[in-house]
Amino acid sequence: MNWPDLSMGGYGFYVWGSYLATLIAIVWEVVSLKQRKKALTQQKTEPSAVAPGKSSSTGASIEVDPALPRSVL
Amino acid sequence: MNLYKYASPAMFYPVAGKLIPWFAIPAALLFATGLFVGFFIAPTDFQQGDAYRIIFIHVPAAWMGMLLYVLMAIYAGIGWAFNARLSSMMASSLAITGAMFTAVSLITGAFWGKPTWGTWWVWDARMTSTLILLFLYIGFISLQAAIDDPRRADRAGAVLALVGVINVPIIYFSVQWWNTLHQGATIRLLQKPTIRGSMLAALLIMLAACWLYSVAVVLIRLRCIILEREQNASRFAEVGV
Amino acid sequence: MLRWIVWRDLMLAWRRRADMLSTVFFFVIVVSLFPLGIGPETQLLRTIAPGVVWVAALLASMLSLGRLFANDYQDGTLEQLLLTPQPLFLVVLGKTFAHWIVAEVPLVLIAPLVGVQFDLSRETLWILFVSLLVGTPVLSLIGSVGAALTLGLRGGGVLISLLVLPLYIPALIFGAGAVEASVMGTSPSAHLSLLGAFAIVSLLFSPWATAAALRISLE
Repeated sequence: MNWPDLSMGGYGFYVWGSYLATLIAIVWEVVSLKQRKKALTQQKTEPSAVAPGKSSSTGASIEVDPALPRSVL
Repeated sequence: MNLYKYASPAMFYPVAGKLIPWFAIPAALLFATGLFVGFFIAPTDFQQGDAYRIIFIHVPAAWMGMLLYVLMAIYAGIGWAFNARLSSMMASSLAITGAMFTAVSLITGAFWGKPTWGTWWVWDARMTSTLILLFLYIGFISLQAAIDDPRRADRAGAVLALVGVINVPIIYFSVQWWNTLHQGATIRLLQKPTIRGSMLAALLIMLAACWLYSVAVVLIRLRCIILEREQNASRFAEVGV
Repeated sequence: MLRWIVWRDLMLAWRRRADMLSTVFFFVIVVSLFPLGIGPETQLLRTIAPGVVWVAALLASMLSLGRLFANDYQDGTLEQLLLTPQPLFLVVLGKTFAHWIVAEVPLVLIAPLVGVQFDLSRETLWILFVSLLVGTPVLSLIGSVGAALTLGLRGGGVLISLLVLPLYIPALIFGAGAVEASVMGTSPSAHLSLLGAFAIVSLLFSPWATAAALRISLE
């Protein structure tokens, strides 16, 4: 095992820049998903709240009558 | 055991929830391992110096971008052919992660190109094809975003994804063609350094890490999509969301 | 049936001649913008001409695609066409062919004239004409898939562009490549063959995709 040269032979900006960009992308993805989830679960416990996302305008198309036989698929 | 019941979004929701940590934690561990091997064990490259270490994220990201697109098309196709909502939801979930990886591969590719070849952007066949792949992702996501009816969005997305996936080899071929015509005899840009043992190991570990990460994130998003779409279904009360 | 569809669409388009002409004018204006933006140096213009003319053709096609199904969709004719016993594939083929005649052929015809602005040789102007003649059906065919998918959606032309422009890229590469080969004095036949092959593949597959997309958009 060899301790890496932190300046990456002078290319530090590029190497660390790449990994930083990736880290930002991953963090953004995870954080935005957590927020999306939180908004949905909050909204479920307060049914009067306005629903985010597109389902609010598609109430008609996703009505499911539990009594109707549903295809398993 | 009747596995088909898990094709129902409501039934799959808790299963997905239980699966997520099994992918998220190994993903984090593999990222750490891969980076360790890549930075502490793999030697400095003779030609490119330490700048080559960018490939440990650039190459897995590029591969994930392509892999997720194909998967997205397959799930969308299955969802359309069998009228399987969960399958279509999977496709929609895959799209964003796939686009993210493709964007990361373009950005890291630029960061790699600047020190090694002097310019931030090079129009070589691979980078150009990756850019076009990003456009295809954006098209899919925009189309689904523009359609209010979820089932229409699912099916329209399926048509677009299938047309896209069939076109990808054609696009790749035409870009290769275009590139060789214009490059002539000059060196193939963004040539990977000759991969030695530890470098390959780091690459594969990082790829596995990205793969596990993708599964975890896609499942999380899938759960969000299920919640958004099935909000009116009373059976969700039983699932105890 | 096919002939009837084509004839009907041509008649309707003739009644809105202005639309046809506006596509052509757009094409001419866009092509003329490039020398204004880049400079009148002849050698440079000759180099950029193939790409510029082809991209302008792509953009002009994008604008006209909205009209392919939208008018029939709005007055309910499209739904009726879906209900006929004739295969939807034929309906789509007919409409796409009519669209090609109305929206693309004028571009093909005027392209050599526009190419003169770039000081292209007669040989090259001919190749430009041929490449567009072979390539524009691709634009109509693949474009029809995008038009069918986005029926009735807000976001209109921009959304179609996002969907369809990436798929046009092979046609752009081979078509502009053929003209460029001519400018440089090499043979454009390889490019034109590939373009022709791409056109045939599009002809075989796009009408199915478009028909499926229409069904999805209209149900």
